[in-house]
Amino acid sequence: MLDKLKESIKAALPELDFVMGWGMGYDPLHATPLYMYEPEDVDNLVWGPLNVHNLAVHLPSLKGKKVGIVVKGCDSRSVVELLQEGLINREDVVIFGAPCNGIVDMSKIRKAVPDAHFVHSVETDDNGLTITTDKDTHKLSLAEVMADKCTRCRFPNAVVADHFVGEKREPTVENDAYEDLESFESQGFEERRDFWMTEMDRCIRCYACRNACPLCVCRDHCVAQSRNPHWVSQRDGVRDKFMFQIIHAMHMAGRCTECGECERACPMDIPVLLLKRKLGTVIHDLFDYDSGLDAEARPPLLAFKLEEESIKEKDW
Amino acid sequence: MRIGVFICHCGSNIEGTVDTAEVSRIARDYPEVAFATDTMYACSEPGQDGIIEAIGEHKLDGVVVASCTPRMHEATFRNTLERAGLNPYMFEMANIREHVSWIGKDREANTNKAADLVRMAVEKLRRNQPLIAKEFDINRRVLVIGGGVAGIQAALDCADAGLEVVMVERESTIGGKMAKLDKTFPTVDCSSCILGPRMVEIAQHPNITLYACSEVDGVSGYVGNFSVKIKKKARYVDWDKCTGCGECVEKCPSRKAPNTFDEKIGPGRAINIPFPQAIPKKATINAEYCIKLTKGKCGTCEKICPSNAIDFQQQDEIITEEVGAVVAATGYDLFDWTVYEEYGGGRYPDVITSLQYERLLSASGPTGGHVKRPSDGKEPKNVVFIQCVGSRDKSVGRPYCSGFCCMYTAKQAILTKDHIPDSTSYVFYMDIRAPGKLYDEFTRRAMEEYGAQYIRGRVAMVYPDGKGNMIVRGADTLMGRQVEVQADLVVLAVGVESAKNSPQLAEKLRISYDSYGFFMEGHPKLKPCETNTAGVYLAGACQGPKDIPASVAQGSAAASKVIGLFSKEKLKSDPQTANVDIKRCIGCGKCVLTCPFGAIKEVDFRGQPKAEVIETVCQGCGICSSTCPQGAIQLRHFTDNQILAEVEAICRF
Amino acid sequence: MPVLNGRELRIVGFLCNWCSYGGADTAGVARFDQPTDLRVIRVPCSGRIDPLFIAKAFMNGADGVLVSGCHPRDCHYAEGNYYARRRLEVFKQFISVLGIEPERFEYTWVSASEGQRWQEVVTKFTNQVHTLGPLAPIPEVALSQLAQTTGTDIREEA
Repeated sequence: MLDKLKESIKAALPELDFVMGWGMGYDPLHATPLYMYEPEDVDNLVWGPLNVHNLAVHLPSLKGKKVGIVVKGCDSRSVVELLQEGLINREDVVIFGAPCNGIVDMSKIRKAVPDAHFVHSVETDDNGLTITTDKDTHKLSLAEVMADKCTRCRFPNAVVADHFVGEKREPTVENDAYEDLESFESQGFEERRDFWMTEMDRCIRCYACRNACPLCVCRDHCVAQSRNPHWVSQRDGVRDKFMFQIIHAMHMAGRCTECGECERACPMDIPVLLLKRKLGTVIHDLFDYDSGLDAEARPPLLAFKLEEESIKEKDW
Repeated sequence: MRIGVFICHCGSNIEGTVDTAEVSRIARDYPEVAFATDTMYACSEPGQDGIIEAIGEHKLDGVVVASCTPRMHEATFRNTLERAGLNPYMFEMANIREHVSWIGKDREANTNKAADLVRMAVEKLRRNQPLIAKEFDINRRVLVIGGGVAGIQAALDCADAGLEVVMVERESTIGGKMAKLDKTFPTVDCSSCILGPRMVEIAQHPNITLYACSEVDGVSGYVGNFSVKIKKKARYVDWDKCTGCGECVEKCPSRKAPNTFDEKIGPGRAINIPFPQAIPKKATINAEYCIKLTKGKCGTCEKICPSNAIDFQQQDEIITEEVGAVVAATGYDLFDWTVYEEYGGGRYPDVITSLQYERLLSASGPTGGHVKRPSDGKEPKNVVFIQCVGSRDKSVGRPYCSGFCCMYTAKQAILTKDHIPDSTSYVFYMDIRAPGKLYDEFTRRAMEEYGAQYIRGRVAMVYPDGKGNMIVRGADTLMGRQVEVQADLVVLAVGVESAKNSPQLAEKLRISYDSYGFFMEGHPKLKPCETNTAGVYLAGACQGPKDIPASVAQGSAAASKVIGLFSKEKLKSDPQTANVDIKRCIGCGKCVLTCPFGAIKEVDFRGQPKAEVIETVCQGCGICSSTCPQGAIQLRHFTDNQILAEVEAICRF
Repeated sequence: MPVLNGRELRIVGFLCNWCSYGGADTAGVARFDQPTDLRVIRVPCSGRIDPLFIAKAFMNGADGVLVSGCHPRDCHYAEGNYYARRRLEVFKQFISVLGIEPERFEYTWVSASEGQRWQEVVTKFTNQVHTLGPLAPIPEVALSQLAQTTGTDIREEA
């Protein structure tokens, strides 16, 4: 499958400035984004559960260039969203897709393999991975260390692709039951607030969540670092950090594809995706809309109906 | 910034439940406040002079007045600032009357709340920028919606002042309700004699374009530059050819069509000219009853029309007119009196509405002005009038007084005696409301000279006596007993409700309407014919029940407002518009997508797409500001920072 | 932190200028008694209200937030309240995940003529917020600092 993917990239490369994919990183456990300019660069391409990054995040800044991008199913939804918002041009982007088995959650691996700092080799197959460190060999099943989002994956194949290689996979689930959210909200309101206060208190305001987000397209003009408008101060307190996460979530409402990059990028492992998932389910229920599936759709918060069947207003 | 704060007593209106001196004392500690005082009446001449004086003395460059609602006096105080040499937009108001002193008596809580509201105003003002209004051209044409007496008056006044007028009338003739009346109170002069010539003037005035049988389909634009879509409904007669000879009406075999002009009591035709003085005097086909249009047969009118005017293929047509102002004069409709089961609920032919009775009295009506009751054509001797049918009755959702029913009932009692000298009129009434020049005298005459029997009380029941007449049973509350009157004819003084589809029209015009569908005036006392939408004015009963003199007066008033508006060389746009920070804009176009006015366009700035606001088109709603994730587009004077500052002023702790 | 010696809670109102602000004025002109907790921020249109203003209010210690605009179809700017309705409904459902009771936030429509309805809305909403009680503000500082300065756990204070 990987070979076919490489072939198809090589075939398209002459028409393109470059193609984005994944290559090996600083150790065998970590993949890293790979920019393929020449056919020989393509040989460094890897495909598997270590390809955690959503490369769509780079696309808006490449507007005007003709680029190729290799996507997992989830990544492809971000591409659709960027197309919908006119932040990239369809004719400038060539999308390479392949079926995805799921990716790993490095935090889970770090927990399972305490000595994962010194990795000699990693072998992956369909069912899991074998990690050899300087001390030990760990055999992990994929289910054990898979990212949460993959356990509820509805789109393992790219929803949009110019070149799709391999056989399409069946989705893991038909519908996202939002069990994580349900369980979180089974707590009382005070517990939930306390939870966020403790979590937000740990935030170091590195903005990795924002920078990894393919739809945080404001970039240098993010309101988090602006005095006009001055939505949050630079104070190192819970309030401003919490407010920033709420801003991030609300700005994603109706746009977020729940790719989970914000949470993956968080060095403090703060479960910030949960806020966006809440909005995702609310919008799904209210407007029967899933983002990142139709580049032609008008997003629900930039639209309205004269009569909103699903909105039950308070009866005073 | 040096801010001056003025806390108004408003006599005892505010001072009665707010310690204004304490509020001004607290305000002195607010950031950048250089001066704070309380004042008796901030809006009065000495009050305003005091503000101007303080601006000079304390070198103020911004002012907060805490008094009534900004909807009342914001403009007043902005002028004050301008007179003092400040930019009028360096001003904020705290509403400590309608929102504080008038809604509770707890002086401590009120004082505390007033101080909070002043703090919010100060915090907002600190972030105000001087604004300068832009000027734009006016299209000096006016649209008058509705060709009743109020609309006619407004249109003629405007046209006589040299303005081009477009009049849109829903029915096939102008004249409205007044054209249906036989006589008018309190002078008992002939309705069509006074209205007729005015209608002819409309038709003949070189400045007036009349669209009858038409409705306003949509309105876009803003004061000075509205674009109005008018739907000319299919009438199946080419009005350019129709001479109004009436031949077709005579010959039309479809006789079941309701005669709406005669309030459905006279014979109707599928093709019809409402009445001899109709303007325009043109025939219209009622498609629902036309045999040709429903069954494909007949076509008699087409065959006999001497001018070949019949056109069964005619379709609705949408035309666009550009105007600078709009006068809404859509009048009223009658309440659906059939909900009153106790009066027969529409089952008895001899229980009719006052407007139907008006048609029976009228020489141009179905009976040629001889009063004949509908059931058997007999001349009635005992006529019973029942007042307040759909007025002052909460049980049917109409708690308001329709205002003129007492008067026309008195008129009809007088006319009844004139037509049938040996008749007796009985009037069941709740109270007689006759405030107006010569009005009370008029009702007195009905009783004293014309012998109308006034019975104070509600009617419990109207029922047939089995011998062809009706029995009206009611209470006489003055005598404290039940009365029964044998009646040949019962006339219901049916109350007024807002014209059909008023809310829909209000939505098109973006004006407010009350819970009964009457259009809301700009201010209940001081802006009776303005609306809250600049350039849209009201005339007549669309704003609330009104008799003819009041409707005419308001028609003229609305016209004078339009003439005043158009007398300006150019209009000034409200400078509180949206503004793009081009550095922050990433050109995502979300604002362009959501702006209801098309006031934002995408422009190219050094190869990058950016949003740009067309300032004279922007209406200042701020939807764009709340849509833009970067906060790159900000509504001046309602910026994110200003609203955030207000939030922080309230929630500080 | 209770306001006015515990008699009031902090309730922020966002009212559109054309309908609801006018409705509140109408209620005042008619001298309809209302609770004093509410502080009104006047905005041109409910469409101007970014739900994040409401979030900000809650972060800063508001106990309740009330938004009111023109009735649907009656917006002075034709469409503002339609956008507002979607955004505000989404936000209302969203805040439960933050640990804020959805009942602390309501949005509704009050026209300029509906003084009585305004009185009813304010009274009912104020009572509703009082039933829930105060909502502790999110601390401006880090939790560790808070413990140092006040010596109490924020959770106990709430």
